[in-house]
Amino acid sequence: MTTPSTNEPKKDNHSHHGFVHNLDKSAIFTVLGIIILFSGSIFVTLLAPRYIDPTWTTPSSSYQVQMYEVVDPNLYISSASTGSSTLQFVYHLKHNYTLLLFHEGDDLRIVAPPTLQEYITKMNEPVLKLTSRLLLLRVPQRSKDFDAIAAADKIKEAVHKDWEKEHPKWKEEELTPPNTEILELFSPETSEAFALAPTDGMIENWVEHDYTILDKTQQHPYHTSHGVVYVNNPHEYRFAHFTFNDVDEWGYDPAGETIKNIQELKSHALGFHSRAELISYGEHIYAIEGCWYCHTDQTRTLVQDVVLNGSDNYPAPPSSANEYIYQKITFPGTRRIGPDISRVGIKRPSRDWHKGHFWSPKTASEGSIMPAFKQFFDNDPRGTSKYAPGIPNHKFEAIFQYLMTKGTRITAPTQAWWLGKDPVRTKEIIEGRYSPPK
Amino acid sequence: MEQTKIQFEDRPVKLMLYPAILFMIMGMFVGVFMAFNTFLFPDYFSGEYIHFGRVRPVHVGTVTLLWLLSADIGLLYYFVPRLCGVPIWSPKIAYVSIALWWFSLVIGIGSYPWGTNFGWEYAELPDWVTLVPVKYLTTIAWILVVINMFMTIATRKYEKMYVSLWYTMGTLIWTSFTFITGSYGVNWVPEGISRVNVSFFYIHNLVGLVFTPMGLATAYYFLPKLANTPIYSHRLSMVGFWAIAFVYSWIGAHHIMHGPMSQWLQTTAVVFSMWLFIPVWTVVYNLFATLKGHWAAYVQSAPIRFLMMGNIFYLLTCIQGPLMALRNVNEITSKTDWVIGHSHISLFATFTFFAIAGIYQAIPVITKKPLWSNRLADWHFNLNLIGSVPFLLALWLGGFWQGMLWATWANGTSFAEFHNNLALLPFLDTIADMHYFWLFRGIGGIIILIANTIFVVNIFNTIVLKPAKTEVNQLQEEKVII
Repeated sequence: MTTPSTNEPKKDNHSHHGFVHNLDKSAIFTVLGIIILFSGSIFVTLLAPRYIDPTWTTPSSSYQVQMYEVVDPNLYISSASTGSSTLQFVYHLKHNYTLLLFHEGDDLRIVAPPTLQEYITKMNEPVLKLTSRLLLLRVPQRSKDFDAIAAADKIKEAVHKDWEKEHPKWKEEELTPPNTEILELFSPETSEAFALAPTDGMIENWVEHDYTILDKTQQHPYHTSHGVVYVNNPHEYRFAHFTFNDVDEWGYDPAGETIKNIQELKSHALGFHSRAELISYGEHIYAIEGCWYCHTDQTRTLVQDVVLNGSDNYPAPPSSANEYIYQKITFPGTRRIGPDISRVGIKRPSRDWHKGHFWSPKTASEGSIMPAFKQFFDNDPRGTSKYAPGIPNHKFEAIFQYLMTKGTRITAPTQAWWLGKDPVRTKEIIEGRYSPPK
Repeated sequence: MEQTKIQFEDRPVKLMLYPAILFMIMGMFVGVFMAFNTFLFPDYFSGEYIHFGRVRPVHVGTVTLLWLLSADIGLLYYFVPRLCGVPIWSPKIAYVSIALWWFSLVIGIGSYPWGTNFGWEYAELPDWVTLVPVKYLTTIAWILVVINMFMTIATRKYEKMYVSLWYTMGTLIWTSFTFITGSYGVNWVPEGISRVNVSFFYIHNLVGLVFTPMGLATAYYFLPKLANTPIYSHRLSMVGFWAIAFVYSWIGAHHIMHGPMSQWLQTTAVVFSMWLFIPVWTVVYNLFATLKGHWAAYVQSAPIRFLMMGNIFYLLTCIQGPLMALRNVNEITSKTDWVIGHSHISLFATFTFFAIAGIYQAIPVITKKPLWSNRLADWHFNLNLIGSVPFLLALWLGGFWQGMLWATWANGTSFAEFHNNLALLPFLDTIADMHYFWLFRGIGGIIILIANTIFVVNIFNTIVLKPAKTEVNQLQEEKVII
């Protein structure tokens, strides 16, 4: 049998002087050459860039940092309460950490013992008074130092009188007097507490001007950021069991029992997961379900991309490297069989839309070839219901929360691109009215 | 003839090649299944374990790792000892490696439908599947291959090293680095775009520094062998080798052109992508020039046709590749089926063709029997080619068409106009326009699947049946023994 290189005469070499000798010079040069060339490119293309380009590691805004580091680990979400589609949101508040705002409004008045009066921001006050002292709102109660019920009644009367003054003919005009809620501000004297607060679960309360933090000393580094997230009017979270249509359910109830600790909150019965856990699990689902084979997660610096991902009035800013720094896995994608998801939190913010879409994409958006994800739903999560198909389970909440991070956290909501405050001026660039500095 | 005296140990070759051939058609079957169940009759078979996102990595893992890489390793076991003039250094190590290899990869890749995807493209292999550390076992199996090959080369009798050995040594080092970087190293860098960068480095080098040098090593070995003629230029092949070593590892970032990657890194990737033309032209010219004057062999031998057609596809894919890195071309082709077409022309129409040619040459030698049927081999080639054309054309044309449709959103001068374009042509309409392209892709896929089923039958019969004592076969048998 001939060897393929018949033009290369081969000499039988019977000497065996060990590995290196036998490899001969050219082979050793080959190995060394390969390693040098390869490591050179690794150094320049893999190791150097993150030191050269700060956007690879620097967050896009302090809002992004606080969303991922302050809010997500401490905002708990559960869909287990009723076995239906309502969600319970509970903030895990920590003394000297979570910033709180107690803000009176048209439909809310706050009563407080004299020592706590300073923490209330009245209706027309221009400066918001935040504090990291752990305080909560509750339905007024009578305690030995302070009779909140009496104080509440007084305020109710005053509010009513003021209103009657403004609307002297309210009876003739058939107006109903306002149902102003009155809550008591109290100090729970613990280092942590659980609270219900109005939230859409996606965009947090954020303030960057006209606020003050009442703490005597700075309690946490994030309090000195330019702008802070805060929890607005936290109510002490209490829940109660009740029966509805012969089904045991539970939910927020101001007269119910409090939650003792984080273990109870996360217990199977209550089924709370922090949003950080859900986002992380959502990322895992996104990986194992292979969503990323069909959906890209990058708005490229191309007109068609910023338009595709934009809102009706504003193009989406192109993705920047620092949007991804809080992800274990990033899925920029190589194929766009379905639309890009990098701005889906703004394009499709509706939980109901996603429910319908995951359940049956082909009917929810006609012409779609996306498979159904019925594993994100339980037919009967608690074994109590005879009907109710397709109740979203925690997989759905996870993937939904993961998707809702997309495009919503680049800058603070007050500086958001969907309000036209795009930091990179995408609209002017694509309309040829501005060219960014190189 | 000196080599006839040497007793080569060919059992490792068999243990790698035979399963690999089966996995090829299994992987292709999954591909055809997806072409229909995802694109033509979307979600017809529906459910958690069978939808596109969970099945696609099974297809990719099966054809890249269980078929192509395994077949290439099998061919290394075959030709490296023959080029060194010694049997494989340690058959025992080879058996351990092979056992670990199949055990871990079959479990790893088979587990994707149950949700074990690691989440990085081409690196989907999970660390663990329940109690089996699949990724670690695969790594060990590969390192054992590396040790075995290097020791075989180090203890060789033929002093001169043929170009295939150079490429083999290259691929042993590159594959080790590339695999470790992509499968482990991706978690050693900070979260975010650093990891993306490592991932794309891995994705590109898996093709460029694993399959390319392995495929070229086999092509450079088997073409002269099959056509019974020396390689045209040893020096030219060396130029190609060093060009690959120099260029490939710089161009990962061209997978994320226009994306959230630093512009200078994108530009670097573009520049080096252009350099890719050098290794490609050297290979293509060298293989063509080798067959110059021996074109009769092309007509007579299906494996030579596979090699040369693979070479033509190699030229095509390597014209596509660098061009796709150009910013303006990328704007149209990126994220479309063009990309899928490109990956299939390189891993299927080039390197699978090369590996098939190698198997056709190796099987008669290791079984000491002639090929069961040359007519079936001819059909195997013909159908593969006939299937590739609608398959690849549909992906390129469809991809290009979809890219052009997306680009229409950018017609105009104001955001209102752009947005209006999008309203007139919603994203889903550009999916609907792909239907007939996907149909042709599916038909091409079926033809390719049939073609390779014929291949499996042919190889199976060659191995199992006694050769028919026809005159032609007798002649071939003599040729093999020679």
